[in-house]
Parts: sequence; C-alpha cells; structure tokens
Amino acid sequence: MLWLVLLILPLGTSVFMMDLFSAEIIQHVPIGIVNQDRSQLADEITMALKADPVLEVALECGDRSECEHAVVRGELQAFLVLPNEMERRALRFETPVIPVYSSGQNYLTNTFAVKEIRSVISSIGSNLFTKQMEEPVQVEIKSVGNNSGNYQGFLGLGLVTAIFHLAGILAAVYLFSFPFRDHRIREFLAAAGGSRVVLGAAMVLPLVVIQWLSMVAVYAYAHRALAPMTFDEFIIVSAGQLAMLLACSGAGAAFVGITGNMRMSSSVAGVIAGPAFAFAGQTFPVMAMPFAVRCFAFLLPLTHILKVQSMMLLGSVGKAHAWESIVVLLFMALFWHLLASKLLFLRWKVAEEKEADWEAREKLHLKDKLKNIAGAVASDLSIRKAVASDKALKGVNHD
Amino acid sequence: MIDLFKRLFKVAFAEWKLFYTDPAAVLLLVVAGVLYAFYYPTPYMNQTASKVPVAVVDLDHTVMSRDLTQMSAAAQQIDVRYVFTDIREAEDALAQEKIYGFMVIPKDMEKTLRNGGKANVNVFTHGAYVMLHGNIGTGFATCALTVGATTKVKRIALGKKVPAAKAMAMRDPIPISIQTMYNNTGSYSNYVVPSVLVLILQQTLVIGICILGGARAHRKFRKSNRDSAVENELMPYRYFGRSLAYFLHYCSFILFYHFVVYNVFDFPRRGEILPMIGFAIVFLFSVINFGMVLSQVFLRRETSMQLFLYMSIPILFLSNFSWPSDLIPTWMKGLSCLLPSTFAIPAWLTIEQRGADVYDAAVLLYPLALQAVFYLLLGLVLTNLRDGSKLKTGDM
Repeated sequence: MLWLVLLILPLGTSVFMMDLFSAEIIQHVPIGIVNQDRSQLADEITMALKADPVLEVALECGDRSECEHAVVRGELQAFLVLPNEMERRALRFETPVIPVYSSGQNYLTNTFAVKEIRSVISSIGSNLFTKQMEEPVQVEIKSVGNNSGNYQGFLGLGLVTAIFHLAGILAAVYLFSFPFRDHRIREFLAAAGGSRVVLGAAMVLPLVVIQWLSMVAVYAYAHRALAPMTFDEFIIVSAGQLAMLLACSGAGAAFVGITGNMRMSSSVAGVIAGPAFAFAGQTFPVMAMPFAVRCFAFLLPLTHILKVQSMMLLGSVGKAHAWESIVVLLFMALFWHLLASKLLFLRWKVAEEKEADWEAREKLHLKDKLKNIAGAVASDLSIRKAVASDKALKGVNHD
Repeated sequence: MIDLFKRLFKVAFAEWKLFYTDPAAVLLLVVAGVLYAFYYPTPYMNQTASKVPVAVVDLDHTVMSRDLTQMSAAAQQIDVRYVFTDIREAEDALAQEKIYGFMVIPKDMEKTLRNGGKANVNVFTHGAYVMLHGNIGTGFATCALTVGATTKVKRIALGKKVPAAKAMAMRDPIPISIQTMYNNTGSYSNYVVPSVLVLILQQTLVIGICILGGARAHRKFRKSNRDSAVENELMPYRYFGRSLAYFLHYCSFILFYHFVVYNVFDFPRRGEILPMIGFAIVFLFSVINFGMVLSQVFLRRETSMQLFLYMSIPILFLSNFSWPSDLIPTWMKGLSCLLPSTFAIPAWLTIEQRGADVYDAAVLLYPLALQAVFYLLLGLVLTNLRDGSKLKTGDM
C-alpha cells in the first residue's frame, strides 16, 4: 500500500492525464447547420465549415428545433442558421444576419467553436465584394510560452503538479500514521535508536526524494509538449518541486500530529488537497477570486509551484521572479515540519507509553488466562479422578 | 411479504443509523457532501474573470494609437493598468504578474494605415492561463479590429465611390449574431461546478460504501454489533437493505443540491420532475452497486479513500465535461465506460442545466441503467464469495 500511495498511483495518474490530452488542441467540435437558403453562398459556407479542422459538422438539420434538441442532448455544441434568401439579400447589401446558437454550457469548447465559426464566415463575407482588398489591421494573439495553445502543456503540466501535490500530502499521512494504526511506535523508535529526530528524518527524507525524482521525471516527459527547457529552467523548476514536496510532507505529517489517526488525517488531506487545483489559479485566475479564497490559495503550496512553472514559460524575465515563490515554499516547509515535529514528538511519547502499558496488561492478562486454564484443568482432573474413584467404589460394592 | 419489507427496512435503518454514529461515515456520507458543495464553488463566486489587468505598449504615439488605447481601456474584459513605451517593461510586468497580457501598437501604425498599407497589431498573453488568454485576446482584438474596420470602410467608400452605409455592408455583408443558449454570462462556475457536484456525489458514496464494508456480514470494525441479527441477515436482505439506506440518503442530497446549492450559487435549475426522478434512480443504483462491488476488494477501511482521492481528477476529465470525448484515446474511452460518472455527468447537465425532457435524457440514462444491472450482479456474487472467505487481515 505504501508504494501504491507513494509512487505507483501518482506516476500512473500523471502519465494517464498526459495521455488524455494527447490530442493536444481542441478539434472536431460538433456543430449543426440549418440551411434555409440553398444558394451558392450557403453551400460555400457549409463546405468551409466542414473543411475547418476545429469544427465538425455533425448534423445538417431540417429545422431549428432538430438542432436545438441535439444541443440539449449534448450532441452539438453550437449550430447556425443560414437564413432564407441570404445570398440574394447579401448581394443587395441588406446584410442578412446569420444567427449562431451556442450551448454556452461547455465554456471552453463553445468559445473555440464560436471563434472558428466567426472567422470562417467573416473570411467568406469579405471575399464577396472586397476580395482584392486586404484587412488594414491584422491582429495576432500569441500565448507566451505556449503559442499553439497546447493542452498537454497548459493543463496537463498543471494537473501533473496537482497530482504530486496531493501525493506528497497523502504519502506523508500514510507513512506517519501507520505506526499509530498498527501500534508499532515502540518498534519504529527502537529501530531509530530511540531518537525521535532520527525517526522523523528517516520517514521524511526517502519519501521526499522518491517523490521528487519521480515528479521531475514526469515533468520532463510532460514538458516535451512545449519548448525544450534550458538547464537553468530545469534547476529552478526542480528546486521549486523539491520545496513543494517538503512543504506537502510537512503538512501531511502535521495532519497526523493533529488528528492522531490515519482515517481522519486522510480525510483532512483529501478535503484540503483534493480540490487544490481549483484554488491554485491555473484554470480560474486567483485575482478574480474572493479575498478569503485568495488567502486560502496563498496557503496552498500548489499555488506557488504553479507560479514557478508558469514563470518558466516567460523565459529569462520569468526566471528572475521565480525564486520569490520558491522562498515562500521553503518557509512553508519549515513551518509545517516544525509544527509536525512538535505534535508528533508528543504523540509518539504518549503512544509509546500506551503500547508499553498494553503490553504489560497483555502479559498480565495472559498470566491470568494461564492461571485460569491451569485451574480449570486441575479442577477437571480432580472431577475426573473423583468420578473414576466413585465408579471404582461402586463396582467393588456391586461385586 | 410484510416480513420481507420489515427485514429489509430493519437492515436499512440499522445502516442509516451507522451513517451518523461511525465517525468516518459521518465525515464522508454526511459532512463531505454538504461541505464540498459549498467549498468547491467558492473560488468561482465572482463567476467571470472580467477587468483583467493588462498593458498597452504604444510605439506609435499618435492620435490613432491613443484612441486605440482608450478604446481598450473601455473594454469590459480588460483593464488597461499601464501604458509602456518599451516592450521589455511590459514583459517584466507580465513576469511579476502585475498584468496578464499586453498589446503592442506598432510604430508608424497611423501613417501606414493612412497611406493604404497594412499594420500588424500583436497581442501577447501569459501562456499559463488559457482562460485569460481568451478574455484578453477578445478584448484587444475587438478594439484593434474596430480600428481596422473603420479604415477599411473609408477605403471602400473612397475607392469604390459608394456611400458609407453601402461601404459598411460591403465590408461585412453577412454579419453573425451569437446567441448563448444556456450560460449567457459565460460564468465559469456554471460551467465547472454542476459537473463537479455529480462527481462529489459519486466519490463520497463509493468511498462511504467501501468504508462501511458494503454488504458484507460480520464486519470486524463493528465490535459491539458484529454478531447481531441485523448485521448477519441473509445476504440478499443485507445487500438490498443497505442499498436502500444509501439510496434514500443520497436522494436527499440530490434534492439538497437542486433546491439549496443551485439557489445559493445562482445556477439555472431547468430540471423537470420526471427526468430528475429517472436520473436519481439510475444514477444512484449504478453508483451504489459500483460501490458494493469495490467494497469487497478492500481489507482496510481507509484504503478506498486513499485510492479514490487520486482518481477524482482523471474521472472528472473522462466525463466529457471539459475535454471532448472524441479527443480521448480509445482505450481510455473504453475504460471510462466502467465509471457511472462518464454517463451521469452529461445526463445531469442535459437534465438540470439544459432542461431536457425524459425522451432527450433517455439516451444518456440507458447506459447508466445497464451499468446498474451489471454491477448489481457482480456485487451479489462478490459479496457471496467474500462472506464465505475467512480473511484474517485488515479491519473490515
């Protein structure tokens, strides 16, 4: 179970998530067309929409309600109506409006679909009268560090980090709580030569090192979706990840120190680290969250490591500011480890005494049990003897 | 018949009592469902990320560039906090996260446009924040393209000698009008939270069932009751009685989400009674039986929690709520068919968010019903096998 929580599950889940986004960009968004026009222009629009890689014309509806029902069922993300006499009215400069109905429920895919539909229709429209005339202003929108909008790079990397953030806390919870669960504190302390500091360090260090190495490996594997990392970037991100895992292991140990058992500390870890990704600002920006939530987000190690990772996308300018977040993570690690040491040292002491007490009681109980058994056996023997002698006496009398 | 129901309800009541007396069960089956429903949506309480801090790098310094800057400052999506004259200043502000994007107005833009040339306006956004990328891009692009459109209309009017109105019609002869059907405000919480609520129901229910050992008899952790009559009822009574307790308990959660959580966070409630009842029945039976199957695998009570905490993220993304299912590798799609959430999340969105009637919803409810039957049979077999085995490890 330890290896499962420590290594196999975080590694497996991370690779799974990276593979989930292997298509890298959103494409084939299902849309519908209600063609009421039957003109050359309508055919041209339909063909252009069908040829667009982002869109997939999944349904050509006979009427609007057919497409509406498909949107309700989730089969279409959007549909457009090519209105009656569209071509004729366009040629008469009457600017017939093409209504585009977007579901809106799936924010991301809907945004992509609408943007693409707009671009296809406006390019066909501009070819109608002003084919030779170029657009005077061209706008190019560039996403710094992730120019193609690659989801493996944007969301995948963040999710991998979120998984290891959870793993760091959960593995520490498991490791620090199972001696309590199995009543083996004395055994562990004896193995550490009676030193609590040695026991604490012996638990934390291998955990952090194993998780750190696996996290760095998965991160490097995941990063292939983006531009290759430079050596400096690799060092900065790795240092940040190490600091994050130290903070997480400290927090996990402190949860065990506070609750004293595996079930409760796992629950606390789950409540805090489970939805951490939603609070860390990569999907919905921290600056748009309410103040109290922003404070909570600041307390999560995940927020800071995602900041370090995102700064690496900005090149040399980002590197200069990344260390600030790493320092915050190191302070967090220090705080949680100090708190965990204080609480766990107390709990270990109490548990050690309890275990000794139980053992003594167990011995006493065993002695009593043995005495009882011996007494029972003795009385049984004496009864048997008495019965036998009674029988023998009766036999003699009978004779 | 009366005896049958009496025995069934006796088991159900004993199990339901356990939800409120066993600390681990209280946390998962009572507290988590309520806590998560309020805790998870809090980051998105402002619904949208409007007025994102941005900057303009003005290399032109003309009336036109100042107009463009002012137009950008008035855009709803963005808030122009700085106007820089050097691109490096903007890059530095981006790295410090003082801004999340900037627009570069090129040198001699006005001169080029007035001379009939073409100008390129570049918008840079922070690559780590895809949602802001869309907002900033739309905000700046709309303003820059308006400048372009005005210039083009002037060029058409002068070149083709037509009135301005006709020139405008020639520039964009087939305009589009976008109507958003179900999330008019583009609210992020409305997009994410309803799906997550279904996942919360599934995860807490499955882990809760596993923590209480499903339908097995003679549960080790129930020291004082492990030999009681209710605890060791005949297997079908145990299985269906405990399932009934979970079903009724989670029906109340669905009602709570529909009437309270949706109200508090102002999500649209379009669910009709009939499809909602249909959803509750097939979804809960599918998840309960899924939990009953899994609960026979674990030896310790907390193991399921440790495993399922890792699984939440992949399970959510497998449900077609954010990443289109057509883009998911085939083997993952196959695997996802084993999870109730894969069908339940789209079904819930269809019914509650988009107001589907029972016919539209049926397409998504059939696979859930099939899952319920499959897991029911498997659950009965596994519980029977588990009852017969004599495992000495663990606390279940």
